[in-house]
Amino acid sequence: MNGILTQEKSIYLQISEMIETDILRDILLEEERVPSTNELAKIYAINPATAAKGINVLVDSGILYKKRGIGMFVAAGAKEQILKRRKEAFYNDFIKKLLHEAASIGLDKEQVIQMIRLGEEKQSSKRREG
Amino acid sequence: METIVCSKVCKQYGTKQVLKEIDLTLEKGKIYGLIGRNGAGKTTLLSILSSQNPLSSGTVTWNGEAIWENQHALNHICFSRELSPNLIGNNGNNMKIKEYLNIASYYYPNWDKKMAQDLVEKFELNIKQKISKLSKGMLSMVTIIVALASKADFTFLDEPVAGLDIVIREYFYKRLLEEYMETGRTFVISTHIIEEASDLFEEVIVIKKGELLLKENTQELLSRAFRISGLSEVVDQMTNGYKKYHEEQIGRRKSVTIFLKGKEELPKEYDVTIQPLNLQSIFISLCGMEE
Repeated sequence: MNGILTQEKSIYLQISEMIETDILRDILLEEERVPSTNELAKIYAINPATAAKGINVLVDSGILYKKRGIGMFVAAGAKEQILKRRKEAFYNDFIKKLLHEAASIGLDKEQVIQMIRLGEEKQSSKRREG
Repeated sequence: METIVCSKVCKQYGTKQVLKEIDLTLEKGKIYGLIGRNGAGKTTLLSILSSQNPLSSGTVTWNGEAIWENQHALNHICFSRELSPNLIGNNGNNMKIKEYLNIASYYYPNWDKKMAQDLVEKFELNIKQKISKLSKGMLSMVTIIVALASKADFTFLDEPVAGLDIVIREYFYKRLLEEYMETGRTFVISTHIIEEASDLFEEVIVIKKGELLLKENTQELLSRAFRISGLSEVVDQMTNGYKKYHEEQIGRRKSVTIFLKGKEELPKEYDVTIQPLNLQSIFISLCGMEE
């Protein structure tokens, strides 16, 4: 678990996203137990009902599953599923906003594409220097 | 389920109406945040809910039994009042922390002596010190110890973090959660440091000038409050039909807070900036000064 809770998003969504990110980064592995509602509540000093809501979002989407009397576990295939969903969300969360912002400051499509290429080059040269 | 129900509670001091027809139900197993401006009636409400203060009219019941002078009911309720150096005892209080905790241990039938001792150590208090010599923060520590160690099913804390440094505040929040998760006790906590405590509260109770303004699940309240800003006319069009709070206008730019109802969604077709609000900003929107 890492990251700090901010005010921009509801706490329970931040909790579920943090667990997802930990799964993507192999901090939490598939078929492994995730921190309990009470553990999360204590770590982040939040109401356990809110922590439970964050966990339930992931149970509903099949990322986590419950083992009776033991706790919540990362489902098999969870990582792949999170990746797939994040890719879908990428369009809504980033591309749409990017285009909207670009239009409002008068950047045309070509300029935006050029910037993306520039960003790409910088990233790969940074990686080479690594 | 165990509850405290407060119905049409009014309180008058002379001609001043401090509480107006308060209807409120507190359920077992929840942490409530009680917020309101100075003088809104928070302390009066808590003292009435714990029968430390007579009400002018209305009723307060615990599991259906009136709580006034009802020791059986009051055994389940603890109101750890804010201490002041000269409030207790006969002029210039000479009571020591140790003696004060000792009295509390007789008053609350489920008193947890070990927990009280542990907290005294954690807070690095000297129990031989006199209450009258304590700093503001140390007085808060003593009220926290009484509240937690009382083990009462319904425990009310009046500004427990006033004067405490951030390390002790964080420790208190975690300790409170721990106790809550172990026991399922109900806590009502009044505070002016809203933002850092807001995530503790399952529900938030707002009182304004003696009236109950709202009582709602904190996360639900947060999810329906928005601050809309942009070109004045566009903001007006978009927020048409909503009650507007905390309107601010600078030149052509207008900002306003609105609350959606239930599952309503924000209209999307307007070119405005939409910001979700934290509890502190919601509170300012609801209870801020009118200009």
